[in-house]
Amino acid sequence: MAGRKASRCDVERKEEPLKRAQRRDYRTLALVTGFILLVPAWAWLLPGDVIHMDIVNIMVFAGIYTFVVIGLNLLVGYAGQISLGHAAFFGIGAYTTAILCCRFTWFPTWLGVLAGVAVAGLIGWLVGVPVLRLKGHYLAMATLGLGEIAVILFAELKGLTGGTIGIPQGLNVKVSQIPALSIFGFDFDTDLKLFFLVWVLAAVVMLLSINIIRSRVGRSLRALHSSEVAADAMGVDTSRQKTRVFVLSAMLAAFGGAIFAHFQRYINPESFVLSVSILFITMVVVGGMGNLWGGVVGVITLTFLPSIIQALPYWIPGVPSGLMNFSNYSLMLYGALLVVFVMFMPQGIAAGLSKAAAYGENRFKQLRDRAGARKYEGH
Amino acid sequence: MARREVSRKTLLTVTAVFIAAVAGLTLALKGSTGLQWIVSGLTVGSIYALVAMGFSVIYSSTRVINFAQGEFSMLGGMLMYSIYMRAGLPLPLAFLVSVLIVTLIGAGLERATIHPLRNQSVISVIIVTIGLAIFIRATAKLIWGSEPVKVASFTGDKPLRFLGASIVPQSFWVFGLTLLAFVLVFLFFDRTLLGKGMRAAAANPDAASLMGISSSTSSLVAWTMAAALGAAAGIVIAPINFAYYYAGTMLGLKGFTAAILGGLGSASGAVVGGLLLGVLETIVAGVFPSGYKSAVAFVILILVLLIRPEGLLGRSEGVKV
Amino acid sequence: MLRKRIHKIPLLVMCVLIAATLVIAGCGEKTVDTSKSVFKIGAVLSLTGPAAPLGEPEQRALMLLEEELNDGEGVDGHKVEFIIEDDESQPEKAKAAITKLINQEKVPAVIGSSSTGATLAMAPVAESSKVPLVCCAAGTKITDPVMPYVFRTPPTDSMAIEKVLDYLENSLKVEKIAILHDANAFGTGGADELSQKAPDAGIEIVARESYGSTDTDMTAQLTKIKGTDAEAIVVWGTNPGPASIAKNMQQLAMEIPYVGSHGIANKKFIELAGTASEGVVFPAGKLLIPESIEEGSEWRQAVDDFAQAYEDKYNMEIDTFAAHGYDAGLIVTEAMKMAGTGTDSQAIRDAIEEIEEFVGIDGIYTFSAKNHDGLSADDLIMIEVKDGDWVEKTS
Repeated sequence: MAGRKASRCDVERKEEPLKRAQRRDYRTLALVTGFILLVPAWAWLLPGDVIHMDIVNIMVFAGIYTFVVIGLNLLVGYAGQISLGHAAFFGIGAYTTAILCCRFTWFPTWLGVLAGVAVAGLIGWLVGVPVLRLKGHYLAMATLGLGEIAVILFAELKGLTGGTIGIPQGLNVKVSQIPALSIFGFDFDTDLKLFFLVWVLAAVVMLLSINIIRSRVGRSLRALHSSEVAADAMGVDTSRQKTRVFVLSAMLAAFGGAIFAHFQRYINPESFVLSVSILFITMVVVGGMGNLWGGVVGVITLTFLPSIIQALPYWIPGVPSGLMNFSNYSLMLYGALLVVFVMFMPQGIAAGLSKAAAYGENRFKQLRDRAGARKYEGH
Repeated sequence: MARREVSRKTLLTVTAVFIAAVAGLTLALKGSTGLQWIVSGLTVGSIYALVAMGFSVIYSSTRVINFAQGEFSMLGGMLMYSIYMRAGLPLPLAFLVSVLIVTLIGAGLERATIHPLRNQSVISVIIVTIGLAIFIRATAKLIWGSEPVKVASFTGDKPLRFLGASIVPQSFWVFGLTLLAFVLVFLFFDRTLLGKGMRAAAANPDAASLMGISSSTSSLVAWTMAAALGAAAGIVIAPINFAYYYAGTMLGLKGFTAAILGGLGSASGAVVGGLLLGVLETIVAGVFPSGYKSAVAFVILILVLLIRPEGLLGRSEGVKV
Repeated sequence: MLRKRIHKIPLLVMCVLIAATLVIAGCGEKTVDTSKSVFKIGAVLSLTGPAAPLGEPEQRALMLLEEELNDGEGVDGHKVEFIIEDDESQPEKAKAAITKLINQEKVPAVIGSSSTGATLAMAPVAESSKVPLVCCAAGTKITDPVMPYVFRTPPTDSMAIEKVLDYLENSLKVEKIAILHDANAFGTGGADELSQKAPDAGIEIVARESYGSTDTDMTAQLTKIKGTDAEAIVVWGTNPGPASIAKNMQQLAMEIPYVGSHGIANKKFIELAGTASEGVVFPAGKLLIPESIEEGSEWRQAVDDFAQAYEDKYNMEIDTFAAHGYDAGLIVTEAMKMAGTGTDSQAIRDAIEEIEEFVGIDGIYTFSAKNHDGLSADDLIMIEVKDGDWVEKTS
């Protein structure tokens, strides 16, 4: 352990640590993006009646949630401000584009997505300025309240949102589903096309976020997290920084929500309730707060977990058929696994994995050294 | 500190005057209908208050928000159904047995999942409570099914009528338990050494350990108390609310809201927050289109927080540098 | 055909028991001819979450049907397998589930979901994949306008509303009513349609109030309604809300007639509301009171047999949701038999539209290209709660 640290210091002396970290992040980004974009290839190799999962479909969900979670991670993990209401911004993005594209059939879908992001940014700023004065659990409660208010508005403003029946059936429109996302005449109407779109965009968002956290803004955010007073004293305009991050995270959530609407082709208020907000924050924590990669790991883990649990009985031969339809057990298992994850990896799965990797590496080195020593003794 | 106390007293007075004014106005404008709203609101509010106290107990000793708090109440109601309605044990015995089982579950969960995380960040522990809530809910569904079940009222269903308003007898059990729980929690935290130590343990673990109270004991005691409180609450409200595996979600949300409204970490805050929330919701449902009931309640909550960021009766924790 | 199969019930039950023993023993094998390929049918139901009380009986019914079919002749000698997925009562999960069933499990037809929102979320996938979807949800919008691949088994909300309005107009002879509905999709949809159609029946809506699905005290809304001159109250929602309303009305000594929806058509309502449920009237399928179906008819026989088999297997009474699930399974398998295929989605879809006078549990189904609702309002009756039980309310 000590040896490793020393060698790292040597390198850091030669190079500015921030730059180095940034470069490492770029490399990881390229690797991860490459790996993810190859997912459909090996998903295609695994037949559906063997794995009993639709990997590409689940990955589209994961990609959509990644936007939300990256933004939320900036807010919670870096700036230290808890939000239990981000499903509302997710919903605002989805509703804005769905309403525009269903009411006006000529309305370009990509513009609808951008409109959703803009509306959410504006609303995020309007509520963020007053609400971010609150701290800790009180901020969590206020954002939770805002989320609940949004769901009630989605359900009650029937003329605008189609009420609980949803869009498009609840609106008085000709279309029978929300149009597919279309960019420059190219329709993203299948899961596979959306998969590539979503993950390429996710990589872009990730790149931007890496730059943000390595910039001056990022440093002041972290200062905010560790001590607001100290940050204030050091000349960081804390309330302005907080609002900025809040608005950014709201816009990212809305971006995910808008794509979600064009992916689902039908939306109603049930997709934007409190449990969804809680799921987002859970993804951040389970993956690793204040660790952008952790967020992505959290999203992928928690999006796949229910499907894996449901597919489990098919993978194990000789499972009695009574267990095949075992939704009760699957929810129990999901809850239990959530607890286990946090208990064994309280810093998040990403940190847990790298710790395990470091341990493995160390162990390997020890063994190698010992083996070498033995060899030496033998000679 | 002294100034803080004075302002709390002033605030209490202001709140009391405000509540009295709203109540008076409602009564004057709506007569017996208004009285009915207040009576119903107080019943609903007591339910919220009971759950809110569970949140408070755990928060004031560990700073954790327990998202499984509503599930304790759900379990209480469900067990009561099995023990009182199905197995036919006498009421007091069934009550005690149900509370005891949930208390043991609460203590067990604390030792198994919360205790090992004692040195981790509060948010990790909160996520664990979310996982626990999902687990408990799924287990309850497996045992009791998805349909609501009925627990008979303790003392019949014949409503009492007065001045044009009416109230079911079970409401008095809810009022009674709320009062009893409040007194017990208040006395425990303000008069016993253990209680005071637990509060200190949350604020400053090192100082508290000098008093002989470790944060570990503190957490165990808090979870045990919260589970018992939650279960007792779930049992007395089951005849009004019905018991079903999904009930904990709503109770948890309302209880958390009430606890924040009143100010986290104080029993009086929980009671004031709960009652206020219940009465507000009912009056709003009576005056506004009822679909907006919860929305208006949340708007008021956010406004209160903006004016007073630590809740109505909460103590400002000071700024950590 | 159905009758022939169902006459073998006692034998089937024995087979079921033997099969169950084998399953428990860990064998997992069924005593059915396996030389022919297995016909897979997908199902997405709400097995957890708030709509679980709907999805669970539907699942039970489908599993019962699977056993009955496989212990008999299957579908044209093919074994049948229902692959049941849980949508957790969430629209996005429902969509993911149907996508998986179609893309990965390659099912030619899908049953579900239990609630309107989840079904509407699944419909676009069924349409674009050209796979027939037979739903167990009652929301009017599912089949209006008709989507080529979306069908329905239960009576629609429209039919129930027709029945309720007819009852208000001709039996109660009231002119002013109040509506109190659940704020969810089921309640709001019903209330909207009721408000739309009431004027045609000469009925005025003097108050319209809502409550949250988990609310437990509706006295505020009720006192508001008490202050109007409503002569009857129509409650549109599913348990436990309507039971709380019945109790609150008793508490407030409100004497006006309580008319419910088909959402309270199970015995839970009576259990929860106790004496407050007395006199409540609601529309429901005839299967709840088999005596209301003509004695000796094929339908009556089907209902009696289903009730018996369900009781034997699960030790439970049937309810409307079990019937929806069972009928959805019957319709898909019947269409497979008619089309002579267990894999060709298009042929199965076309065959469903050809189904005529087919006896199910909910009623007698007739589909057509323009009508994807198999039932009609005639398959419903009004039921009154009397002495803790159901009786048919005849005007």
